[in-house]
Amino acid sequence: MALNFDLRSSAYVTNPAIRYIGYGVIAMLLSVTHVVFLRFLEVSSVTPDLLLIFTVWIALVEGQFTGMIAGFLCGVLFDVVSTDVIGTNALAKTIAGFIAGYFTRPAFLKETLGSARFLMIVALSGFVHNLIYNFFFLRPMQVSFLMFFVQYGVASTLYTTVAAVFPMLYVARRKD
Amino acid sequence: MRGFIEFVVRFKNYITLITLVVMSLSLMSIGNLSKLGGFRAVIVGSIGWIQSVFSWIPNPVALKAENTALRELNLQLAVEAARSRQSMLENSTLRSMLKLPALTEHRLIAADVIGKTTTQQRNYATINKGQADGVREGMSVISDAGLVGIVIGTSEHFAVLQLLINRDTRVSAKVQRTRVDGIIQWEGENILVLKNVPRTLDVREGDRILTSNYSPRYPANLVIGTVRQATDEANTLFRRIVVDPAVNFSTLEQVFVVDAKPDPERSSLERIIDEQVPNRSTP
Repeated sequence: MALNFDLRSSAYVTNPAIRYIGYGVIAMLLSVTHVVFLRFLEVSSVTPDLLLIFTVWIALVEGQFTGMIAGFLCGVLFDVVSTDVIGTNALAKTIAGFIAGYFTRPAFLKETLGSARFLMIVALSGFVHNLIYNFFFLRPMQVSFLMFFVQYGVASTLYTTVAAVFPMLYVARRKD
Repeated sequence: MRGFIEFVVRFKNYITLITLVVMSLSLMSIGNLSKLGGFRAVIVGSIGWIQSVFSWIPNPVALKAENTALRELNLQLAVEAARSRQSMLENSTLRSMLKLPALTEHRLIAADVIGKTTTQQRNYATINKGQADGVREGMSVISDAGLVGIVIGTSEHFAVLQLLINRDTRVSAKVQRTRVDGIIQWEGENILVLKNVPRTLDVREGDRILTSNYSPRYPANLVIGTVRQATDEANTLFRRIVVDPAVNFSTLEQVFVVDAKPDPERSSLERIIDEQVPNRSTP
């Protein structure tokens, strides 16, 4: 469903086991992509968070419960791959999945994913995600949380939202 | 029992959220890269291998910045080289006069950076040299510009460095001109801060910051950076000293691992003291 959600009758979509394995594979590919290739897209030390977009996507497609678990697992995966302290991304992405899950509307899935609504959900989830992540980062430091968050947290949220345009356009085109 | 099950089903999202948050916080409390050893070393090795496969792809933005930095460095080095030649002659003469032993030159292991993060809160780099090349955990890493970081994990052919721009990094440092001591800490973006320097001590803009002799982890006299700003902190007895790192981490591609490990006897003694005195920490 993640990639071919319009093929609702296919075995890929209806079989949850295959679907979840697909999510796992995509999450692994995205995390490796993030670590290996995203340096090319770095703008002033800010990169888009692909796994956050994926977490929001899963939360919207599968619901809040699965979104949270997906967020947690994506976060742990990213922490391991990026050599960050394990748990920081897991916590932030769990909360992001929880927030995105509030916007799950199965009857209007295509409309949600293929419209600006998806971008707004990514922006909101990303904002809270970065708020939590930066809070744990800045806790032992003396720098101003507000200044740092505005400079990095908000910038990262905006960049992630811009990156979310691509899956949105993909769905919008399939929808048409 | 039925009531309990109904409660769980009704509030399963909140229960799951709380459980996952508690699990995340628990993981964070034990989340130290060096403690996770084997499993993470395999992951790091695999990622390092993938990064090495794609390391040939140039990053135009980084290359441009690196070219500019190299031109400036080249100019500085030309001047320094002339001074050095003169100093070496003087040094040689003075040493022979004083009968001092020559300083030990550590072996340097050249390595390419095949992957790095400079946008995270804890930034690391992966290099293409590992245990097979003599790289060991705890070794310092430098570039032609100055201190880069420290090796915190190794596999057979790769090593992970904790960069200077990492929230967990603390380096015991000194001001070259006045020998004032402090602790260098990263505060995000390209800002290092020299902490624990009282207001009364003399530190000025343009002063060079070096690693101190007090640190068991880093060899002394490695260049860390230059003081950009020195102001008095409000409501404290200390100064706020902002330091520009000597190394440009965005364009970092070649490094040297200093083949000098901390003295095990000193490390052992300080570890024992750290355990006995909880608030004491060795940067």
